[in-house]
Amino acid sequence: MTVPALCAKAVSKRFGRINALDDVDFVLEKGEVHALLGVNGAGKSTFIKILSGVYIKDKGVIEVDGREIDCHNPKDAIRCGIATVQQHPELVADFTGYENIFLGRESARAGFLSGIDRSVLKRRGDELLSRFPVEIDLSRRIEDMSAVEREIIAILQAIGGDHIRILILDEPTSTLTEVEKEVLFRLMNTLRASGISILYITHRLEEVMEIADRFSVFRGGRMISTMTPQQVRDKNLSLAELMLGETLGAVFPDKADPAQLGELVLDVRNLRHQRLFSNVSFQLRRGEILGVFGLVGSGIDELSKVLYGALATDAGSVELNGRKVSPKSPAEALKAGIFLVPGDRRVEGLALQQSSIFNITLANLGRASSFAGFLKRSANRRESEEFAARVALSPANVTMPVSGFSGGNQQKIVVAKGLFADADVYIFVEPTVGVDIGARAKLYGLMRELAMTSGVIVMSTDCDEAHGISDRAFALYKGRQVVPADGVFTRNELLMAGIIGDATHA
Amino acid sequence: MPKHGIVPAGTVRFLAFAALVFIIGAAFTAVEPRFLSTQNISAVTRHMAANGLAALGLTLVVIVRKFDLSFAGTACFSAMTIGFMIAGGHDLWLCIMAGVLAAAIVGAFNGIAISYFGLPDIVTTIATGSIAGGLAFLYSQGRTIFRNFVTSGILDLNDARLFGYSASFFFLIALYAVAWVFMHRTRYGASFHATGENPVSAYFSGVPTRAYTMMAFIICAITSVFAVVLILAESGTADTNKGATLLMPAYAGVFLGAALLGGTSVLATLAGTLLITMLLDGFSLLGVPYYYSDGVVSAILLTGVVLFDARVRQLFSDLASFIQPVTSASEKRS
Repeated sequence: MTVPALCAKAVSKRFGRINALDDVDFVLEKGEVHALLGVNGAGKSTFIKILSGVYIKDKGVIEVDGREIDCHNPKDAIRCGIATVQQHPELVADFTGYENIFLGRESARAGFLSGIDRSVLKRRGDELLSRFPVEIDLSRRIEDMSAVEREIIAILQAIGGDHIRILILDEPTSTLTEVEKEVLFRLMNTLRASGISILYITHRLEEVMEIADRFSVFRGGRMISTMTPQQVRDKNLSLAELMLGETLGAVFPDKADPAQLGELVLDVRNLRHQRLFSNVSFQLRRGEILGVFGLVGSGIDELSKVLYGALATDAGSVELNGRKVSPKSPAEALKAGIFLVPGDRRVEGLALQQSSIFNITLANLGRASSFAGFLKRSANRRESEEFAARVALSPANVTMPVSGFSGGNQQKIVVAKGLFADADVYIFVEPTVGVDIGARAKLYGLMRELAMTSGVIVMSTDCDEAHGISDRAFALYKGRQVVPADGVFTRNELLMAGIIGDATHA
Repeated sequence: MPKHGIVPAGTVRFLAFAALVFIIGAAFTAVEPRFLSTQNISAVTRHMAANGLAALGLTLVVIVRKFDLSFAGTACFSAMTIGFMIAGGHDLWLCIMAGVLAAAIVGAFNGIAISYFGLPDIVTTIATGSIAGGLAFLYSQGRTIFRNFVTSGILDLNDARLFGYSASFFFLIALYAVAWVFMHRTRYGASFHATGENPVSAYFSGVPTRAYTMMAFIICAITSVFAVVLILAESGTADTNKGATLLMPAYAGVFLGAALLGGTSVLATLAGTLLITMLLDGFSLLGVPYYYSDGVVSAILLTGVVLFDARVRQLFSDLASFIQPVTSASEKRS
């Protein structure tokens, strides 16, 4: 029996209270293409980061060619023969392909004064191309190259060291077209034929069926199973069935009663921002929570900022309470009655060294001060305490700096700020990132409470969240809105809509 | 933040500041008893008024996390503007308003360039400061202006007394009181603080952060004119170098105060200005040449910046906590 290229035994990793990886066993055979599947947070990214030396495992053993390795940084991993191409590879835009491939190891006799010998770079680059034939002109500059050419450059750079036996690709196809994908797959086949094992992350089952020898499914930090494409065909399994486990269920409050919905509060038509999203249309009623699911880069963050006036509207219209609005700044959006709970609360939501009172009142200083501009200090304190109690802030101290609160409680302060701002529409972006499960349930409850009197939009890269909290939902896939053909999306349909742009595969 | 038993950290810092004032005062008095004379205390309060007024506007610029290196040049420009107007026989208040206007234009230029066009603050203000300093020469081709100064009434500003002390000192205290109320009790002060602490979250909270950044530069330029008026009143002449001496004391006041009281604020700047003025005045009383005393003040400014820097303070507190267990362990052994 041959020794596998890579073997992981009982690998675990914790981040604080979160079990990112739990006792993962994994085998990568020599010369195989092995896909990793799983929703965001399933543990596949953590796993490849441990293999590539970015994270250090807490427990477990990793063997390469039967020998145990101990990687503490990416250089260690490369020395052990494991090369990684990140999801968005960092290349130097105005260098040529040759220069990028050998960046940092231009010359064997590297010295401070030894210049870059272009002819040597070219000869070595051409050697590499003759070993792994792929159609690409390495003398062009990166900024003139297409997405797939950049990916190829990044792969050639990664395997430039002759001893590389394992190549890890993090979502290499996420930005590629169908035609480009075939080019990448041909290179992957060539690499496989030369004996290199490839481990790659993807969200698309049809790719797995096309290119992978085997695949493994991650869910909730555990490796659930390893299968072959043949088994999927035989059992007629769907990607959603493979990727999703049990729902969180009880965390989410009850849905709204459709009969109880109020009047139309927000009517968005054909909204566009540059190339990041276009033709986004939806309506929102008082009493309703609308979910928007999209992966990182799908445009959900930009959509929230266009609605909030922080990014320009390039086309389309927004009507709030029947009146056309086009906020040019968050100040105008707030005045119109839109409040954003931003995705990165520490950067976009809070002044960390200031108190809760300061933060809660900041988005509505008109309410917080008399007409001459003097702050109503006792009233502000009293109201801040009331809101702090309403969002169950813990500790219930409104004068200490907000940097002293946990992530979940900081998010509650941002919600309290929204309550003080008294908006008609609340937009939540990634509301529970870094928030523990107890605070999550409270935050979901607060969203439902807000929806009693306002319209609420929840945008998330977590499909369960976007589906679980909302009364209905749509997906953004690479800037394209995917809506249910009739009625509402099921959770599986929403997931497929968001990760492959087509709900009918569910 | 270190815990000091039941005494709040702010009180500890204030006591430390008071002790420092006492020590500096006692040291100078020991060497030169005239330090405590009425005449000298009067001089200290007068100089403190000029330094403190210059530092007040700068405090706002530092609160919005920017630097203004132009205001020495701006002050020279407004000094010569005022001198030129006085020489022209205009009403004193009109002359001062002209100086304020000249400075405000430079300040507005700084503010617009930095907040609306995103130019780097340090480079921009060095450039505008040089331009303003150059403009100062245009009124008289660089010659000192003193015509009409005696009859204009500006000298009376220097001689005005209240309860036996320079009236300018009371003006300083009054303006700082107004500034404190503005910064800590109004929505505008809250917006300045929000802009400085986290401009992104401030913008997302609807604060017009660019307008506030611009206003900080304008206010900075204007308060430097107040300081210039006091300097003109004291010397009785206007020359192209009249504002240049304000730069170091003002920065030293802001940063030393911030280091002492734990953050940039109106009160911290007042405290820093008091210390700096005592030092400068004490040295000049002892007959130390200005090039030494400027060196000392600059060294103190540097110390203030180092102490104000959070990373450096963290380093010191790490060092302290590292030493603490070692000493308690050695105590156990003995």
